Amino acid sequence: MDMKRSYYEDIQLLDSGTKKFWFGSLIIILLIIPFLIPGYYLHEVSYISINIIVAIGLNILVGYTGQVSLGHAGFFAIGAYAATLLVKHLPFFPFIFALIIAGLIAAAFGFILGLPSLRLEGPYLAIATLGFGMAIIQILGRFSVFGGRMGLSVPDIGFLNDLLYDSGLFTKTQSRDVNLYYIIMSITIIMALMARNLMKTRIGRAFIAIRDSDIAANSMGINLTKYKTLSFAVSAFYTGLAGGLYAFWMGFINPDSFDFILSILFLAMVVVGGLGSNIGPVLGAIIISFLNLNLQADSISAIPLLGDLLTVITENWMNKGGIASVSIIIFGLILIFIVLFEPLGLFGFWIRIKKYWKTWPF
Amino acid sequence: MIKRVLMFLVMISAGFLFEGCKKGGSEILIGQWGPQTGPAALWGSVARGTDCYFKMINDEGGINGRKLKLLIRDDGYNPARTVTEVKKMVEGDKVFAFVGGVGTAPGMAVKEYLAQNKIPWVGPAAGSTHWAYPPTKYLFSVYPLYCIEAALLIDYAVKTLNLKKIAVFYQNDDYGKVGLYGAEVAMAKHGLKLVEKVSAEITDTDLSSHALKLKNSGAEVVLLWVLPKHGATILGTAAKTGFKTQFMTSSTLSDAELMFTITKGLWKDMIVCRFSELPNSDSPLMKKYREAWKKYAPTEKWSTFFQSGFLFAETLVEGLKRAGSDLTSENFVKAMESIKDLQGTGGKMTFGPNIRQGSNTGFLTKVVSATEEKKLTDWVTSDINIDEVIKKLK
Repeated sequence: MDMKRSYYEDIQLLDSGTKKFWFGSLIIILLIIPFLIPGYYLHEVSYISINIIVAIGLNILVGYTGQVSLGHAGFFAIGAYAATLLVKHLPFFPFIFALIIAGLIAAAFGFILGLPSLRLEGPYLAIATLGFGMAIIQILGRFSVFGGRMGLSVPDIGFLNDLLYDSGLFTKTQSRDVNLYYIIMSITIIMALMARNLMKTRIGRAFIAIRDSDIAANSMGINLTKYKTLSFAVSAFYTGLAGGLYAFWMGFINPDSFDFILSILFLAMVVVGGLGSNIGPVLGAIIISFLNLNLQADSISAIPLLGDLLTVITENWMNKGGIASVSIIIFGLILIFIVLFEPLGLFGFWIRIKKYWKTWPF
Repeated sequence: MIKRVLMFLVMISAGFLFEGCKKGGSEILIGQWGPQTGPAALWGSVARGTDCYFKMINDEGGINGRKLKLLIRDDGYNPARTVTEVKKMVEGDKVFAFVGGVGTAPGMAVKEYLAQNKIPWVGPAAGSTHWAYPPTKYLFSVYPLYCIEAALLIDYAVKTLNLKKIAVFYQNDDYGKVGLYGAEVAMAKHGLKLVEKVSAEITDTDLSSHALKLKNSGAEVVLLWVLPKHGATILGTAAKTGFKTQFMTSSTLSDAELMFTITKGLWKDMIVCRFSELPNSDSPLMKKYREAWKKYAPTEKWSTFFQSGFLFAETLVEGLKRAGSDLTSENFVKAMESIKDLQGTGGKMTFGPNIRQGSNTGFLTKVVSATEEKKLTDWVTSDINIDEVIKKLK
C-alpha cells in the first residue's frame, strides 16, 4: 500500500515510484506506436483518445459532482463547430488557440446549462440536458454559417505534417494520421493529468462533497451555485476541446453526427468505465469506442463457433442485413454484462488486476 | 523491478502482433460502404444489390479474366465510422476503387481522402451537387441531380399538361433547395415564376399551415421535395382541407408501394420522376438482372434501392472492361472518360475529360396503383444550366 506521510505527498500528481515508472513507460509506448501499427489503426487510436477526453470531462460532472448530463453531444458539437469556423475564417490563427477558444465557448454554454442544475436533480436534470443537446443540433442545422444540415468541411491542420513527410518515414496520408495522433494524444495526456490534479485540489474536493450530499456540503460553506456551475463548465470545456479535435480528425462535420445517441454513448463510457475514478472513464472510452468502430459483420462471423451459429440464425430468421443486424445487439449485451458482473465498471477489473500483480507470483 | 520491465516488454511485443492486409492477384477488389444497421439500414440493400451484380458478372467470366470482389462495410450512416472503414479498405485491404456508398454526409467525409489517395470512386449513392461540381479527377457521379428531376417535372407540367401555376413544397436543406432552385431555373426558362414556395424543417410534425399556404396560392401543380414521411403527411393534410391539385415528386419518393400504403391510397395519380427503369420493366437488361436476383439473392426484396446497386456498378464495370488488363487508376480514369452514351438501366451515361456528372436524364411516370406505374414519357434530357442552380446554392 502507498503510505502517505504528509499532505504534500498526498497532493502530488504521481505519488509513488511505481506510478512514475508506469506513467513513463506509457509515454514511451504512446510515442513509438505510430512506427508500429498501420495508419488506419492509428487513426482509430486517435478517435479513441478523443473519446477519452470526453469521458474524463463527463466523469468530472457525473462521477465526481454527481450531476447527470445527457447533453454532452451538444458541447461536443459546439466545440467542433467553433474550432472549425475559427480555423476556416482566420487562417493565421494557430489551431491550438482555436481549440482552447472552442473549449471556452463550450464552457460558457456549460455554465449556462449549469444554472438549472441548482434546482433540478436526477431525471429532471437528465431531461433538461437532453433537451439542450437536441436543441443545439437543431440550431446548427438551421444557420447557413454552420453549413446547415449539409455540414462543413474542416481545413487540415498542418503543424508537423510536412516535417513528418520530409523525414521520408511516412507517406502523405500517413503523415497526416501521425501528425493528428501526436497532437491528439499529447492533449489527451495533458487533459488527463489536469483532471487528476483537479481532484486533488480544493475544487475537486468540493465537487465530491456536493456529490455525497449537497446539503451537507452547503452547510460546510461550499458555495453550491459556484461549484455546480463550475463543474458543468469544466466538463463542457473538456468536451468542447475534444469536439474541436474531432472536427480536425474527421475533416467534415454535420449536425447529424452529434445526435443524442452520442450523448448516451458518452454517458455509457463513464458508467461502464466506473464512475468517480480516474482510470475508469479512460477504460470505458477505450472499450466503447473500440466496439463502436469494430463490431463489424466480418469480425463477428470470424468468432469460432458462435460466429457460424449467428450467421445461420440471422440469415434465416432476421432481416436481410444478415449478421450486421446482431452487431448492435452484441454491443448492448457486452455493456449489460460489464455493468451486471462488475458494478464498479471496468474500474473494478482494474483494481483486481492491480491487486493480482502486486502479489504476483504468489 | 524485473517484473515491471518484463511486463513492459510483453506490452511492447503485443504491439507487433497488429498485422493484416492481404492482396489478391487474380481479382479486382472493390469497396462499398453502406448502412446495414441503424436508422438508415433500409438503404443497405444498395450494397447487396452491387454484390449480386458482381456475382452475375463473375459467372459470365469476370472482367478481362479477373474476378470482381466486393467488400461491404457497415458504417451505420455515421460519418466517423465511414472514415475509419474506408481507411481500412484503402490502406489495409488495398481496394482498387469504390462504387456506390450511401449518403451525402458519409460520402463528404471521405471525398477528400479518396481524392488524395487517387482511389477512383464511381456512383456515390446520393444526389448531391458536391460530387461533380467542380469536377475532380477520380470521382464519377452517376445519380442525376435533383434539380434535373425538378426541371423535367416543370417542363412536363408547363408544356404537356399546360398548367402554369406551380408551387414547391421543400425540405429546408440542400436536398430540398436543389429541387427548389431547379424548379425556379426551369420556370424562368418558360418565362414564369413559382406561385408559392413553402419550406418544412425535417423535424416538423404538423403541416397544416404549410398545406393552407399551398392551398391559398391556388397552385395547379405542387412539387414535393421532402422525405417520405412529410410526403405522406402533406397529402393527408391537403386531403383534409379539401385541397385538390396535381402533386409531383422526385425519385427519392419513388417507392410507390410504400407510399401507397402509408398514404392509404392518396398516392394515386402522383407524377414521379425516375432515373432508373421501372422494377418490372421488360428491357433485356432488367430481365437479366431480375434473373440474377432470383439466382444469387432470392431472399432479397426486388426494390428500387437493391436495383440501384446494379445501376451504380454498371458504369464501373464498363470502365473496368475498357481499362484493359493493365489496370491502374490512371488507365481507369481514361477509360471512364471514353464512355459516351452508355445505355444501362439508368439514363444514358456520358463522361469526358472535364465531365464528371454522367447522366442528366430521367423519365416520368404516373402512379396507378400500389404496384403499377404508367410511363408518361420516354428518357428525356434536361437542358437547364446546372451552374445557375449551383450559383443559387452558394
